[in-house]
Amino acid sequence: MAGYLLRRLAYGLLLMAGVVILNFFLIRLAPGDPAEVIAGDMGGATAEVLAAIRADYGLDQPLLVQLGRYLGAMMQGDLGESYFFNRPVSELIGARIGPTILLVLAAQVISITIGVAMGVMAARKPNGVLSGAVSVVATIGYAVPVFWMGIMLIILFASIIPIFPVEGMADIRLRNEGWLERMIDILHHLALPAFSLAVIFLAIYARLSRASMLDVLGADYVRTARAKGASERSVLFRHALRNAALPVITVAGLQFGGLLSGALLVETVFNWPGMGTLAFDAILRRDYTLLLGVLFCAAAMVVIANIVTDLAYRLADPRLGGET
Amino acid sequence: MALLEIDELKVTFRTRHGPVTALDGVSLRVEAGETLGIVGESGCGKSITALSVMGLVPSPPGNIAGGAIRLAGEDLVNTSPRRLRRLRGSEIAMIFQEPMTSLNPVFTAGDQIAEAIMLHQNVSRAEALSRAVALLDRVGIPEARRRADDYPHQLSGGMRQRVMIAMAVSCQPKVLIADEPTTALDVTVQAQIFDLLNDLQRETGAAIMLITHDMGAIAEMADRVAVMYAGRVIEEGRADDILDLPKHPYTRGLIACIPNVGKGEGGEPPPLAEIPGVVPPLHLLGAGCAFRERCGSAFERCAAERPRLLGPAAHPAACHAVEEGRP
Ligand SMILES: Nc1ncnc2c1ncn2[C@@H]1O[C@H](COP(=O)(O)OP(=O)(O)OP(=O)(O)O)[C@@H](O)[C@H]1O
Ligand code: SF4
Ligand SMILES: [Mg+2]
Repeated sequence: MAGYLLRRLAYGLLLMAGVVILNFFLIRLAPGDPAEVIAGDMGGATAEVLAAIRADYGLDQPLLVQLGRYLGAMMQGDLGESYFFNRPVSELIGARIGPTILLVLAAQVISITIGVAMGVMAARKPNGVLSGAVSVVATIGYAVPVFWMGIMLIILFASIIPIFPVEGMADIRLRNEGWLERMIDILHHLALPAFSLAVIFLAIYARLSRASMLDVLGADYVRTARAKGASERSVLFRHALRNAALPVITVAGLQFGGLLSGALLVETVFNWPGMGTLAFDAILRRDYTLLLGVLFCAAAMVVIANIVTDLAYRLADPRLGGET
Repeated sequence: MALLEIDELKVTFRTRHGPVTALDGVSLRVEAGETLGIVGESGCGKSITALSVMGLVPSPPGNIAGGAIRLAGEDLVNTSPRRLRRLRGSEIAMIFQEPMTSLNPVFTAGDQIAEAIMLHQNVSRAEALSRAVALLDRVGIPEARRRADDYPHQLSGGMRQRVMIAMAVSCQPKVLIADEPTTALDVTVQAQIFDLLNDLQRETGAAIMLITHDMGAIAEMADRVAVMYAGRVIEEGRADDILDLPKHPYTRGLIACIPNVGKGEGGEPPPLAEIPGVVPPLHLLGAGCAFRERCGSAFERCAAERPRLLGPAAHPAACHAVEEGRP
C-alpha cells in the first residue's frame, strides 16, 4: 500500500510538472506582451520603460530560461508576483483556496448524497413513478449549463423567494459576532452556489447509481442475503449499496476536474471569493503569473483528489486491497 | 403430515412470448431426516421449485399462481413477508448453484456467516463470529480462524461453497435445499461436499432437497427421487427403484446417460449416452406430452392428451405408454 501510494504521488508530481510547463508555453505564446500589461492601460509607456520592465521581470530572457527560473522558484514555494495585485501569487491563492475547497466539497457531498439517494429509490421500483421522475430530473440536470442554473437560482431567490443570499460568502454586518453565527452565515451563503454546482453532478450520480443498483440487486449475493432472512433495508443498504457505490466512487474521482472548472464559473456568478474569481481577474487583466499559479493549484487539487479517490476505492473494495 | 409439502404448485413468468408456466402442478413431500433428490435437464424448473419454497421467486416477472407450500403444516405461500424472513435462514436454508457469485464480495466469510447467526439468534457479534469460525472448521476449512477474515475472492470455489454450506446450516434448519451444490466444482471436491452434507444431515436430522442433473449424485445421496421435465414431476419413487427400474422413457434416458452406474463390471465404461433433442421452449408446449418429440415410445395419444402422474403411490410415472403397459 505504501509503495503504491509513493508511486501514485510521483506520478502526480510528474503530471503537475507537465501541466505547469504546458500552460507556461500556452500563455506565453498567446498574443499580447506582458510588459505592456504591466505598464498599464494608459498606453503612454515609452520603449525605455517597457525595456526596463522586461529586464525587471526577466521577460527579456529566452523562454526556456524563464521557464527554468519559474520552476526553480516554484520548488521553493514561490509562484512569482502578480502584475496586477503587486502581491505574491502564493499569498493571493492562499487567501482564496479555502472558499473554493469549501464550495467544491459541499457540492461533492450534496451531489453524491442526493444523487445516490435518488438512484437507490429509483432502483427499488425500476418501473415506478419515482424512477421515471428521477430519470427526468437527471436528464434535465445533466443538460442544464451550470452558470444558467446559477442565474436562475439567483433570480428565484433574489426576487421571488428571498431566503438565501445570492452574493458573496459572508455578511459583513456579522463580522463581530461569535464563530457559530459566522459559520451559519457562511453555510447560508454557500447554499445556492453549492447547489447550482451540485445539480449537474447530482444528475450524473443519480443515473449511475440507479443503473449500478439495478445491476447489483439482481446479483446472486443479494439473493443469498434474502435467503438468510435479512430485512429489505439491510438487503438494500448493507448488501447492495456497498457494492453499487463502487462505480460511484470511481466516477466521483473522474468528475473532480469538471467539478473544479464548474466551481470557477459558479464563483463568478455568485461572486464567491474563491480561486474562480481570482482566475477570472487574472484572465481579464492578463495577469500571467497569477493565472499560471491558479492553474498549478487546480492541477494539484485534481491530483490529490484522484489519489484520495483511489484510496477510497481500495478501502471500499477488498478485491483491490493490499499491494498492487 | 410430511415436514415439507408442496402441493400442485404453479409458477408463471411473464416473458416476451407472453406468460409461460414454469411449474405446472408440482407436488413433492420431504420427511425430516430424508433426502429427496430432484433431477432433470436444464430449465425443467428445479431451481424455481426451490426458490418457491424460499419465497424468493424473482417477482416480477415470476409469480406463484397456485398451489400450496407447507412447512410443518404452516402455509408459506400466503404468509407475511415478515414471517417468511424469520423462517428463511433459520428453518429453511438454501445453498445456491453458483458458489462463485453467491457470496458478497465486500464482506469477509466470517462476517457473512455471523450475520446469518445474528439474524436469527440473540447472540453478540463476538459470539456469532466465534460460532462462524467453529462452523468453518466443521465444514472442513483448514485454519478456520484465519480464513474467517478472508474475502470471497481469496477463496477457491470449493471453499466458497463450504462457506455457503456453513452459512446455510448455521441455524440448524429443518429443511436444507441444495441447488446443484457441486456443479461448479471439480470431481474430488464434489465427493467431499456430498460427504459433508451427509454428515451434517446425520448430526441435525435435517431434511435435504438435493437438486441436481447428475444421476450419480442421486445414487449416492438420495433416499427418494422426483424426476422433472418441462415444469412437471414425471416420475417419483425410492432412489433405488428409480435407478434400477425407471419407468418413464425420459428417466430411462437420463439413467442411460450415467457412465458406469449399475452395469459396471470393470473394463471399459459404456459410452456416455445422451437424450436426443432439447426441451421445447415453455411457451410452445401446447397439449400432449412435452417429451413426445424426443420419445421413442410416443404414439397417437401422446400428442392429444397430457399424461398425468399415475400408478402405485410409491412409484408413479406420467406416461401413456407406461399406463397402458406398452413396450
Ligand atoms: N427470470 C425468469 N424469467 C422468465 N422465465 C424464467 C425466469 N427464471 C426461470 N424462468 C423459467 O423457468 C424455467 C425453469 O427454470 P429453472 O431455473 O428452475 O431451471 P433449472 O431446472 O434449475 O435449470 P438448471 O439445471 O439450468 O439450473 C426456465 O426454463 C425458464 O423458462
Ligand atoms: S406419454 Fe408418450 S411421449 Fe410422453 S413419455 Fe410417455 S410415451 Fe413418450
Ligand atoms: Mg437451476
